[in-house]
Amino acid sequence: MYKLLISSVLILLLFLPAYALDGTKVLEQVDKNLNPESYEAYRKLINVEPDGKRKEYTLFTIKKGTDKIAAIFLAPASEKGRSILRLGENMWLYIPNVGKPIRITSLQSVVGGVFNNADILNLDYVAEYNVESLKEEGKEYLLSLKAKTREVAYDRLKMWVDKNKLLPTKIECLTEKFLLIKTLYFRDHKDFGGGLVRPSVIETDSPLYKGYKSVIIYAKIKKRDFKDESFTLTFMPNIETLRR
Amino acid sequence: MKILIVLLNLIILLPALAYGEEQYKFELSETEKKPYHFGGYVEFRPVVFWPDTSSALYKLNYYKRDPGGNTEEYNAKLQLEGSYEKESARLYFKTNTDYKNSYFGESEHSTFYEGYVSLKPSDSLKVDTGKRTFKWGKGYAWNPVAFLDRPKDPNDPELALEGYVAASADYIKSFQGPLKTFSFTPVLLPVYDHINDSFGQNNKLNFAGKLYFLLYDTDIDLIVFTGGSKTTRYGVDFSRNITPNLEVHGEFAYIRDYQDNFIDSNGNSYINEYDAKSYLLGIRYLTASDTTYIFEYYHNGTGFTEAELKNYYAFINKGYQSYLSTGSDSLLQKAANLTENNYGRINPMINYLYLRVSQKEPFDILYLTPAITGIWNMDDKSMTISPEVLYTRFTNLELRLKAIVLVGGRDSEFGEKQNDYRLEFRAGYYF
Repeated sequence: MYKLLISSVLILLLFLPAYALDGTKVLEQVDKNLNPESYEAYRKLINVEPDGKRKEYTLFTIKKGTDKIAAIFLAPASEKGRSILRLGENMWLYIPNVGKPIRITSLQSVVGGVFNNADILNLDYVAEYNVESLKEEGKEYLLSLKAKTREVAYDRLKMWVDKNKLLPTKIECLTEKFLLIKTLYFRDHKDFGGGLVRPSVIETDSPLYKGYKSVIIYAKIKKRDFKDESFTLTFMPNIETLRR
Repeated sequence: MKILIVLLNLIILLPALAYGEEQYKFELSETEKKPYHFGGYVEFRPVVFWPDTSSALYKLNYYKRDPGGNTEEYNAKLQLEGSYEKESARLYFKTNTDYKNSYFGESEHSTFYEGYVSLKPSDSLKVDTGKRTFKWGKGYAWNPVAFLDRPKDPNDPELALEGYVAASADYIKSFQGPLKTFSFTPVLLPVYDHINDSFGQNNKLNFAGKLYFLLYDTDIDLIVFTGGSKTTRYGVDFSRNITPNLEVHGEFAYIRDYQDNFIDSNGNSYINEYDAKSYLLGIRYLTASDTTYIFEYYHNGTGFTEAELKNYYAFINKGYQSYLSTGSDSLLQKAANLTENNYGRINPMINYLYLRVSQKEPFDILYLTPAITGIWNMDDKSMTISPEVLYTRFTNLELRLKAIVLVGGRDSEFGEKQNDYRLEFRAGYYF
């Protein structure tokens, strides 16, 4: 009887870390399937109001490794030349008229609407979150993620992942006390070339902004290596020169 | 009849169908890079002033005139900017034209704010030659270490400024570890006839340099300026996020052999030479409800004491009395000459506090940002309070309504300004 009990406990103990490990592996694969480790991309960000009115922004984005990402606004004219840089949890905004980078926070939004700076300059999920649990829900996994540090914009995420494609379909961003801040919906899978097939549209809504939604559309995601110097304050006014 | 109803329905539905089809469209043409760019900004800014007829600066500026109550001013601005890029070279220019129609008549002034050529042989090195701004320092309202820039207006710190002709380079190096970034910016700034002649003493070639470090998640700059057009000066600044929503910053400037030109109440001039120390400490704090607080303390080591400013106002009053009794404005002319670039500079005294509170999108009204700004002169207890509302709903159009209330007793900085109140509307369009 004792032997049976000990064996059962051992089997359970063996399974528990394997389960947690699987969740992390799934998350790592989600990151890999969403973006190359270093890449350039064009994005259009659309804020949609309840009456259908829109405000649109076009950005050129560069990313390197797990902690470096930067973007420059190409349109509209009022925002052209503004750039944002993120190194880990450090974030800066460069406004041509102001002429020098100023520190900003991940919770602010340089464009208004439902997306904040952390959504616009998002790093790999695995760099910011630990997997607390993984459940199977039909054709999807449900990952419960907890922020690794208090500096991360959302304390918790619930991520639904397509089992076959290992790509997210929906993410709920939550507070420490599980209050819903916003929901991201991943839609319209598209082949970007180089073996990258991923959602080209991310839509978000929030109970804090009832009736409003914001959308990011991706185009031309390309694997590309950049020098570390491209992700510095001094280089911020020159990010557009990296466009080809 | 049925056909008519169907057609009417189609007409009504067509825009909706078109809207549906257009949803989330991202044309590839929007991502194509062109070698050139041309754009600009046009602004219309009417202002109403409520004058303080017993203030010293009103007497100085209006002693020969009587505007008779409120005065209006109509301002327009046109800025054009363009660039052309070929391989590692880039040409950039920005012009500025200001038009003003006020009680004093019409005036127009056009100039190149910036115009330079950049060469970027690698991502680590860039060389700029021409007219440009540098904007050194971390402060929001004031920058005591901005040795190469024209002073900004704390009431509108984000306004574009005119640059100086200079040759400069940026060398950047990134590292792993606590020191993440290092950069070096050397600058040569000539001051000769028709080149930067408003900067300082003529016929001098000045050198400035800035070392930047991103060390332990803190931005640090070490700055030096020397060369003779202005006295040698050293600066250091820093900025750091203590928490994701709290940033602290500071600047310190050490200005050698600063010459303080001041007068007594009879208009006799004196010069006092000393090593001046200016510094600034500030925070930027964002609450969970999207309220941003910017708070700064500024110590202006080159500023006038309360007694020195009091003597200046006394001299203006004396000149005004002399004008009333004799009809001679010679004393007022002398006071006007002393005002320019000296007593008339922005925030000319020593200790100031700045507080700006802005609320992003209150009551869930997108694109609306109300704010209130206060600047307090700690030496003479005078202040300005500026409530404003900014609305950016329409693409490329910014609408701002702003009032400025000046509060202070006689002989104080803001109490002796020529107006008690000011109300302005600004409509700016980017293209």
